[in-house]
Amino acid sequence: MSNEHAHAPAHDDDEHNPHLAHHFDTMGQQTAAAKLGMWLFLATEILMFSGLFLAYFILRMFYPEMVLEAHEYLSKWAGGINTVVLLTSSYTMALGVRSIQLGDVKKLRLMLVLTILCGCIFMVVKYFEYSAKFEHGMLPGKFYSAHLHGYEIDGLPHIFFGVYFMMTGLHGIHVAIGLAIMLWMFVRAGRGEFNAKNYVAIENTGLYWHLVDLIWIFLFPLLYLVK
Amino acid sequence: MAKVFLNGQPVEHAHEVHEHISPMSTYNAVIGALFVLTGLTFAVSFADLGPASLTVAMVVAFIKASLVVAYFMHLKYDDKYHLFVFLGTIIFVGIFFGFTMFDLKSRDALNDEQETFVRWKEMENAGKGLAVGVDNVPERRAKVLAEIEAHGGGHGGGHGEAGHGGGEHKTDAKAEHKAAAH
Repeated sequence: MSNEHAHAPAHDDDEHNPHLAHHFDTMGQQTAAAKLGMWLFLATEILMFSGLFLAYFILRMFYPEMVLEAHEYLSKWAGGINTVVLLTSSYTMALGVRSIQLGDVKKLRLMLVLTILCGCIFMVVKYFEYSAKFEHGMLPGKFYSAHLHGYEIDGLPHIFFGVYFMMTGLHGIHVAIGLAIMLWMFVRAGRGEFNAKNYVAIENTGLYWHLVDLIWIFLFPLLYLVK
Repeated sequence: MAKVFLNGQPVEHAHEVHEHISPMSTYNAVIGALFVLTGLTFAVSFADLGPASLTVAMVVAFIKASLVVAYFMHLKYDDKYHLFVFLGTIIFVGIFFGFTMFDLKSRDALNDEQETFVRWKEMENAGKGLAVGVDNVPERRAKVLAEIEAHGGGHGGGHGEAGHGGGEHKTDAKAEHKAAAH
């Protein structure tokens, strides 16, 4: 058996690919394993966020007027700008994956920088949104004190802002982690670790980033827009 | 060379990478569509559609999500097993949402039909404190509270320990907030 392995056909240059881990036979197999693992991870991410979405829907079902009243205090424009920024970052990330599929490391690094830039803009807008909420006392649970700042919201606004901060906060943490991963990928790309045959790490980074975008696609209309 | 397996299937020519590379035009069209749809949801949110607005917003969000998943995440061209994992997750989310919502929406009707709520109340009242139970209909909750009030005013102190479920907490919180606001 091992003999057979040693006499692999000459055209099979996978045998010599330095990025092929010894427990995989080919780069294709290694890529497939990594991507399947990533999709399974994304599945757990979706399930985790689904609990928060359900909390939102239950709150909305029991207290529709309160949710409508409280959501008026969220800035539609800040949310809208962040949506455009995040969609753009998904686009640049997808182009980054395409660049490395074509073997263009330089363009990949440019796209990673653009994606990181968009992610940072998102976080800055979020920072301003959060500080406004903090200032007005629109905080979760027992920290809620908007009524002391002259905002009267009937019902259970402290629960609404609990849901708001949990959903956007967990999403924000994902954005921050995504930024760190992309920075790491930028460094690795600079070291020449990626090429047209070995880019699954970039692709998985992209999948993660697109999922973050995907969650925002639902968060935005539900929290900021819906009447 | 040794036989190679991909997702449990033996593969011939496994060394070949069959990644699909989408043309730039695809990515440009997708991002264009995503921007248009975002503008649409934004514009629609200013129009007064009543209860339909949630449906409209969700339909648009689903279209946007499908575009991202199919083209940016390459699921359209990818191994079908990844699509299976993804759709399987969505199905489980659907079960999670469906059953929870069904339970919450039908609970009142079942309580009425089987008088669970009343029995529970009686059972608790036979003991020490007062149980208000879980009731999401404010009018009925008020009625029950009035009933309990009429039956024995001396039980007021037992309120805290009888904090049974959400019903009481909600009323408490509401009252607190009203008080704080005025």
